[in-house]
Order: sequence, then C-alpha cells, then structure tokens
Amino acid sequence: MSCIETKSLFKNYNSLIAVDGIDLNIKSGQVFGFLGPNGAGKSTVIKLLTTLIQPTKGKVSILGIDSRKNPLEIRKKIGVVLQQPSYEPTLSVEKSLAKYGMMWNVDSKTMKKRTEELLSSFELQDIRKKRNEDLSIGQRRRVQVAREFMHDMELLFLDEPTVGLDPSARRKLLDFLKNKVKETGLTIFYTTHVLTEAEYLCDNIAIINKGKIITVASPQELKKKFGHEKTIQIHVSGKNHTLHDLLKDIPDCKIEFNTGTIITIQSSNSEIVLMDILKILNQNDIAIEDLSAMPTNLEEIFLKLVSDSDASNN
Amino acid sequence: MHPIIRLVNRNLTIAINPGFLIWQVIFPLIYIFVAGFAYTSLIQNVPFGNKDLDYPAFLASGMIGFNIMNSTLVSGIIIWNDRRHGMFEQIMSGPFTRAQYILSNIATIAIVGLVSGALITAVGYPVFFESVEFSLVTIPLIIFTAIAGAILFGSIASIISTRLRSSEGFNVIINTVFLFFAFVSTAFYPAAGAPEPLATAFYLNPLTYLVDIIRAGIFGAVTDFIILEMIVLVSLAAVLFVIATKLLTKLDF
Repeated sequence: MSCIETKSLFKNYNSLIAVDGIDLNIKSGQVFGFLGPNGAGKSTVIKLLTTLIQPTKGKVSILGIDSRKNPLEIRKKIGVVLQQPSYEPTLSVEKSLAKYGMMWNVDSKTMKKRTEELLSSFELQDIRKKRNEDLSIGQRRRVQVAREFMHDMELLFLDEPTVGLDPSARRKLLDFLKNKVKETGLTIFYTTHVLTEAEYLCDNIAIINKGKIITVASPQELKKKFGHEKTIQIHVSGKNHTLHDLLKDIPDCKIEFNTGTIITIQSSNSEIVLMDILKILNQNDIAIEDLSAMPTNLEEIFLKLVSDSDASNN
Repeated sequence: MHPIIRLVNRNLTIAINPGFLIWQVIFPLIYIFVAGFAYTSLIQNVPFGNKDLDYPAFLASGMIGFNIMNSTLVSGIIIWNDRRHGMFEQIMSGPFTRAQYILSNIATIAIVGLVSGALITAVGYPVFFESVEFSLVTIPLIIFTAIAGAILFGSIASIISTRLRSSEGFNVIINTVFLFFAFVSTAFYPAAGAPEPLATAFYLNPLTYLVDIIRAGIFGAVTDFIILEMIVLVSLAAVLFVIATKLLTKLDF
C-alpha cells in the first residue's frame, strides 16, 4: 500500500518556486530518506505532506487520504518532528512527555508507561525533572523526538532529527527508529544532511534540488548506478608546480590538485588512469609518498548529483 | 476528551506558573492595601453613582477589572509563546484544527480572567463590604462583563502576538499597552474631576468601561451610561475577537 503519494506537487511563494512538480510513491513500513542541500525544498515538502500548508497545484495523498479534503484525518494518524525546536519552556521533561500524551488523548495508564519507556530509551531519566528551558540543544532535541512516540501513529515525519545530537545519542536514535520500523511497521519520512545516517537507516532515498526530485533509489542502487567511479588519492613528496601541466591531458577522469602535493582523481576507468599517472610521475622523477583508492560513497554521489543538477539547470 | 478541552488543559498548565500567580495576587494586593489606605488621607470619598465610596473600596473594585486586563494580556500571549517556541506549528501538525486552537485560547483567557476577577473580589471583599449591593441582576452582569473584558484584552494580546516577531518589539508594545490601559483609566481614580483631556482619554480605554461596569455591578449603580458602556465594551470585544481570529487563521508557517 502507498503510504505517501504525490502527483505533480507544486508550491510557490510569489515568484519563488519551492516545490516544482514532485511525484512520490512511498510504500509503507520503510524509512524513506529525503536528502537535499539547504533550501532545496525539503522542509516545504514536509509541510505539504503534513498538511501544515496546502500545495499551489498537484495532489497529496497520505495513508490513502486526500490532504485537501481531510487534513485533520491525516494529522490524527501521523507524527511530526519539525526542523525547528518546539518545547514548552516552563515544563519539566517528564511533564512535557505527559502533557503531549494528554494532548493526543492517550489514556493515563498508557501515558505513564510510555513516559517511563521513553525516558529510558532516550536516556532522559537524569534530567526528567529539569525544565525544558534549562536543557542543552541536544537534550531538548531528544525530548522533542521522544515526545512524538507518546502517541500511536502510522507515519512519522522527521525533519533533521539528529541536529545537535552527539554521535552516541545519534546512533541510539537511529537504532531506536530502526527497531520501531521493524517492530511496528511504522513508515518514516526522514530528512538529513548526514549522508552516513541516510545510508545506515534508509531503505530508499530521494534526492531533491531546487524543488525537483533528481533521483529515487535505495542506497545500494544509488551506489551501483552512480558509484562505479573510484576516487584515487596520491600524495607526492614536495610541491611540484608542473603537476597540473603533466597530468592535464589524461582522458576519462577528473583531477583535483590540493595543496600542490595531493592529487585526487575520480574516474570510472580508474585502473587505466592510475597506470597512466604512475607512468608520468615515474618519467618525471616525482616520488609518491602515499596512494589510496576507495569506492565512491553516498556523500560523493549526492554531491555529484546535486552539482550535475545545478549545471543542467544553469 | 474533546480537543478544545485538551488544549485548554495544556494552556492552563503552561500559563499558570508560580511567577504568574504571584504577579496576579501580590500586585493588586499591594495596590489595594498599600495605595488604597495610603491615599485615604488625601482622598476621603469618591462619588460613584448615587454613592460616596471610600477610596479603598473604589480602588479594590477597580482592581477587579485591572486584574482581568492584566491576566488576560499575559495569558493572551500564549500564541506569542507558542510561535516563539515552535509549539504553534507543532500543535497545528497534530490532531487539532485552527478553529480549535483559537477557541482553546479564548476559553483559557476567559477562565484566567474570571478566576483572577474572583480572586480579587474575594480578597477585596472585606474592604468594600459595607457598600456592596449585589443582586440577581448584577452578579450575572459582572460575570458577563468579566468574560467580555477577558475576550477583549485577550484578543488585543492575540493581535499583537500575530503581528510581531521580535521579542524586543513585542515587549515594548505589550508594556506600553499595559501602561496605557492601567493608568489612563478609571481603575485608580475617577474620571470626574480629572483634567478634561485626561478624562476624555479615559474613555478611549476599554479598561475604563470594564471597570465602570464591574463597579456599578458591585455597588448597585447601574445607570443608562453604564448600559451604554456595556454596549461599547461588548461591541469592541466582538470586533477585536473577529480581527484576532482572522489574523490567526491567516498566520502562516
């Protein structure tokens, strides 16, 4: 069953086009990553999908419900952690969770049980009596995410939920989310800038740039499709100003010269390119201090796709 | 539980904190018992309707309206706080409609206004006990006026909350509004006897109408002028409520 379905989704603010004809079809029971550079339209898409704003054109269907016809019914079935912090400054952590549960009409027995579970899962026991206004940014973010699990939902929107979290808290949150999806069949729509997070957590990923979807695929498919290039890094001894002239004519590759001693080569034909480079370096008596080759990671794929998209738009 | 009741519950929890309660009780009490008795040597009696009230009684009855204004201006800034702390978007992405959010704020304001009014009535009662003339007509009149006043000042705070984004701007405006409402009114002194421009300014202030009607209800001095004031107060409350609701409906994310 499609959990989220959009057709030609379009949103503009006067002359600014924030979302430009997006088509999505997201199946239930998965973590769907939504990636894009700053200002790409991620948060606007979340606001459209959570019915906070209505599209200028196009259709949105969430859990089979039309967002224009019945936005309230959608909101009753979803959870939302928005990018901006949201908290009641004067409430303590545990009271925040309980009040949020009350707002969602959770019965008091379930509320108490969930409060304790979430305080434990998000390691908030030590600060349970602390007021929200006295918490650090990371602690506040943990409360904000934990709070959303006070109520039942079929679909959860998380807009950069790990901002401000330390690596340990970040990993715990990702594992918590993974388990929730596995145990309850929850669908998560997840935006992040941290590509390793998306790779770790997401079943499928969409990359958005300038309001348009560039690609939708699983992390593995993305790597298979766009990651056939390898990145080779050669560290030569001593600065050599002729390096650029020596290597500029090698075909099928992109070469960058960092600090005059590090050469970074990206190529889908890496073995042959490497052989050519080594030959040239040898002929010119340029000694190599270090050499490494690595497959292209998701971050490089992301950067490449966004830069290609920018180039085609210009 | 109905969504509006859930939101009112939440609003009251965040609006009523120890600081708020101290402000609500201590502040008017200082006026009633310190200023009220201190000024008695300067102001013996204040004519009101067909009565001559002693100054503490005049001031204590004025403090009821003052406290309704004060508490509803404070609780009316729920919207401001919700916007500032991201809770407005959070609530609107939850199981609530905008209409429910607006109504819950109005209900919260009305409850806070009524409780504040009742609190000051209870505390001030011994002070103006001798002159009180409650009747079956005046008690509902006082309650209705208190609600209308609460909606009026709550709407003003809501309008300010929807129009301003910076904390500094908001604080300046709300403090200026508070000072004007509090001191350019008949809460502390009667309009009769004040210099002409000041007396006119008193009647540009809705707190004057609120205070006059409550005072008239307490001391049994409901005249045609008070009924006119009642009409002005209710009309103004209705207009401001509609404006506040419209602005809230249009509030974007």
